[in-house]
Amino acid sequence: MLRASLKSLFSRKLRLTLAIVAIVLGVSFLSGAFVLSDSLTARFEKLLRSINQNVAVQVMPTEEAADDDPQPLLTQQQVDALAQVPGVATAQGDVTALGVIPFDVRDGKPVTTQGAPQIGGGVTGDDPFALVSIADGRWPTAETEVTISRYTAEQAHAAVGDRLKVYLPEVNEAREFTLVGIVAYEGDRDSLAGETLILFQEAFAQRTFYGAEGRFSGAYLGTEPGVTQEQLRDRVAPLVPAGFEAKTGEQANEDAANEVQEGLSAVTTYFFGPFAIVALLVGIFLIFNTFNILVAQRAKELALFRAMGASWGQVTSSVLVEAVLVGVVGSTLGLLAGIGLGMAGSSALTSFIGAQLPGAGIQVGATPIILAYAVGVLVTVIAAFVPAVRASAVPPLAAMRDVARPDKPLLALSIAGTALAVPGAALTGAALTGIGGLTLPALLIGVLLFFLGVTLLSPLLTRPLAGLIGRAVGWGISGQLGVRNALRNPRRTAVTAAALMIGVTLVSTASVLAASFNKTIDETISSTIGAEIVIQTNSTQGPPDGTIGFSSEAIDEVRALPGVDQAVPFYLTVDARVDNGSPPFGGVFAIDDLAVARDMFALKAVEGDLRTLGPDEVVADQNTADSRGWSVGDAIPVELNKGGERPYRLVGVYESTPIWTDTMILPQAAVSNFNGPLAFQAYVSLDDGTDPGTVIPEVESIMSDYPLVTVGDRSSLIDQFTSFTDIALGIISVLLGVAIVIALLGILNTLLLSIYERTRELGMLRAVGMSRGGVTRMVGTESVVMAVFGCVLGIVMGIALGVAIATALIDRDFLTTIAIPWVSLIVFVLIAVVAGVLAALWPARRAARLNVLAAIAYE
Amino acid sequence: MYGSGEAQVIALRGVSVDLERGRYTAIMGPSGSGKSTLMHCLAGLDTVTRGQVFIGETQVTGLGDAGLTRLRRDKVGFIFQQFNLLPTLTAQENILLPLSIAGRKADPDWYKTVIETVNLSDRLGHRPSQLSGGQQQRVACARALVARPEVIFADEPTGNLDSRSGAEVLGFLRNSVREYGQTIVMVTHDPAAASYADRVIFLGDGQIVDEMTEPTAEAVLDKLKGLDVGTGGA
Repeated sequence: MLRASLKSLFSRKLRLTLAIVAIVLGVSFLSGAFVLSDSLTARFEKLLRSINQNVAVQVMPTEEAADDDPQPLLTQQQVDALAQVPGVATAQGDVTALGVIPFDVRDGKPVTTQGAPQIGGGVTGDDPFALVSIADGRWPTAETEVTISRYTAEQAHAAVGDRLKVYLPEVNEAREFTLVGIVAYEGDRDSLAGETLILFQEAFAQRTFYGAEGRFSGAYLGTEPGVTQEQLRDRVAPLVPAGFEAKTGEQANEDAANEVQEGLSAVTTYFFGPFAIVALLVGIFLIFNTFNILVAQRAKELALFRAMGASWGQVTSSVLVEAVLVGVVGSTLGLLAGIGLGMAGSSALTSFIGAQLPGAGIQVGATPIILAYAVGVLVTVIAAFVPAVRASAVPPLAAMRDVARPDKPLLALSIAGTALAVPGAALTGAALTGIGGLTLPALLIGVLLFFLGVTLLSPLLTRPLAGLIGRAVGWGISGQLGVRNALRNPRRTAVTAAALMIGVTLVSTASVLAASFNKTIDETISSTIGAEIVIQTNSTQGPPDGTIGFSSEAIDEVRALPGVDQAVPFYLTVDARVDNGSPPFGGVFAIDDLAVARDMFALKAVEGDLRTLGPDEVVADQNTADSRGWSVGDAIPVELNKGGERPYRLVGVYESTPIWTDTMILPQAAVSNFNGPLAFQAYVSLDDGTDPGTVIPEVESIMSDYPLVTVGDRSSLIDQFTSFTDIALGIISVLLGVAIVIALLGILNTLLLSIYERTRELGMLRAVGMSRGGVTRMVGTESVVMAVFGCVLGIVMGIALGVAIATALIDRDFLTTIAIPWVSLIVFVLIAVVAGVLAALWPARRAARLNVLAAIAYE
Repeated sequence: MYGSGEAQVIALRGVSVDLERGRYTAIMGPSGSGKSTLMHCLAGLDTVTRGQVFIGETQVTGLGDAGLTRLRRDKVGFIFQQFNLLPTLTAQENILLPLSIAGRKADPDWYKTVIETVNLSDRLGHRPSQLSGGQQQRVACARALVARPEVIFADEPTGNLDSRSGAEVLGFLRNSVREYGQTIVMVTHDPAAASYADRVIFLGDGQIVDEMTEPTAEAVLDKLKGLDVGTGGA
């Protein structure tokens, strides 16, 4: 039995190839994600190892103490004491700070990185651990001198002798230095991972970063020969002050590598995950269809097995064995493709961030291999299960004669579909409107049920809906015949179209949400922000907490500019403890004059009063107040970055809008409890008749020393909000591409089967005078009808889902309006038409080249 | 209409045959005698390696796919053993299919005549699956006739029918020759079917071995028996 089913398996390679492609795509995304993050991690690990190769023990703040303000520091005496421990060969106090940003020597613009740190350090001379060494010039010896890494020099277009402007985060200002040297990393590398490095004279760096000389953020120790890292760690342990811990170099590498791995796998999972899910989901339909076709074609053969005494179970398992084989082959190829994807991704990503990571080979762990086979085989077997059971239902009698396989009535299928779709829709609706406290799982189950239901109902929709589509595309007798062929087997057409439907539904839903979001932002900003100029801070160097942005003095300068009416700076922190819980996710704001902000942002008081806040007063938006059960007069305990917890009295509640939802506003005095005194954003209104274009350059020049700050008009704010949705839509479009490729294969598959089944008809049509072109048009029309049918179903479902979710978001004030992106949706239909035509190319050619005589000859 | 005298066929092994216009010709012979191949060559479905085929003034041999398509569309009608109707089309749509493909309109009077002759007026809206075998073959006959081709090729038209339905179809074909001057060439191995023809051509081993005019079933059967002996059996 097994041998027989294997033999017939290989005789239908082509059809199975199509099914395998779906598995290959899905599995390659899945395993590619793991290979990419593992390989990158290995490269980072190697990098870390080379950084720390001479470090036996490092004394660093504990994880808990690292975030304290002020940060824990070591004194010169403590470092000296560590150096005296027997077995310590070298000891070096660490003086570093982040957010030290150089300005380009040529154009004066700040030099930024693609997320890599911008490091400042203090040095006294040669690095005892030889991580960096002078490549040109010398070390800094005066407080007006700096030495920088070669990569930094390239980025800032600076050469030894140049004047280099550098932003110093702790003192919140940019100063000019003389560039006296350039360093290279061990192994003559320009940079480690695309970071910038600026080295100052140590005493100056200590004063600037830590407020006093003789302070260090940690210490590195090298060991004498014969003393192990563990021994040294144990020896220095008694000398390590509170808030610090001693780690071996090995341990430190491992911890850092784990951190890198966590970050990377989060990124790769979020990036590749959706692709894998869509590919596999769509693939299920393709595989289901393929196996259905195989079973239908082999009905005679299967019946023969039955007639010769094969049991029901044997026939079923023979089909499932095929499925397992297809799954294994698909998974293997997918795994190989995933490894390729991981390799390509690894080099693309490192060149993108400008990192010069050491090569560490391609890492293929056990997880991607196990996952690839588990998922690939499971998906195939699930998809092949129904066809397998159907195969066993072929009566032995079918071996003897042509058994007509009449179309089963669609009634049972339609009832099942309705039974799933209606509760699914109800559950979705209930979850979205929050009835009965239903949440995300309920929403997902609801959507899934609705999806399944509509999929089961789609054969019923084939005749009316695809017929309607057919009227639009079925030109001439060839076209009409093509349309009739598409309607002939509603189940087959529906399953084929379902593959496309899934992809289009996802993308349409996302498009509706994105369009609604963009329109909401556009409308809200235009109608509620009475500011012409917006000053913003790029937060890629860390979350806002008062340490990035611009000073209040800069805002005073802006206020003094001619033509400026009002300026409202926002001080913002996202790291706070509010009412013994997490902070509102919109952030904790501090504003110097709420009354001015109220007028500028058209804030409406729902309760209490929106006036200039006293030092112990707070206001919040209605959603925040409602969800946390606050009312005016309550004392809200708030613990900011530093200074401990203190109560603020709620004096007002304002209406929630998409911009002001899940927020709270503290008085200016609270800024002293932020990590730093810098404002994160500012909104500037102008006197009537003043052109923003003349004021913006002046504001820019005031802000020119703050490297992360950008100045723009109102549209730049809209762009900032919508850039996220644009990126999301970009990714989603690629997703649609993946879904279309697989759906296209499904259509191709179905067409090949149809042509095979209708050989005689095609021969007759050719015999009575249909030209090759006519046959091509007929097959093409059938294909386009199927593709457009799937696309239209997907669009309808996508709009329904998108509107449902958007409605729920309006309830929660994330949106104010629903927009349906008709242009994009029409483009989807056009893409479906093109996909239909493409899918038909080869089958149509086959049909047109059919030998007429062979087609009509019998037996 | 079908050529008289000019329609010369050199097929198979030096077979040369004239088939007259306005007559009902049957081609008979045992299996493997080449009768189907002969018909396929005549109809332009198969190509000859040597020699020429004419339908009327048109030389079939040497035509490309487009030319053959046009020939089949404009000058030839087919009736197949397995009816070969399109299941997605109604009887009426099936009948009009060749005209639709050619982009022509049916002559309404002729269409009415054909429908009445085949006695299908009350079945026009039915699909093939709702018709009996005889009815389906009558639809196929109507499909061949309605375009008024120069010649209709019928390949074992009664092969899949019971004797009563078969007789109906054969009678109908003979009528269309007698009354409307249609030219029909039919391949069959059934002496009873051949007896409806005006002339029977006997093939054996790819050659014309005999022919007979105004045949009867008995005479055809006798002749076939003789041929079987003469050629050493089929």
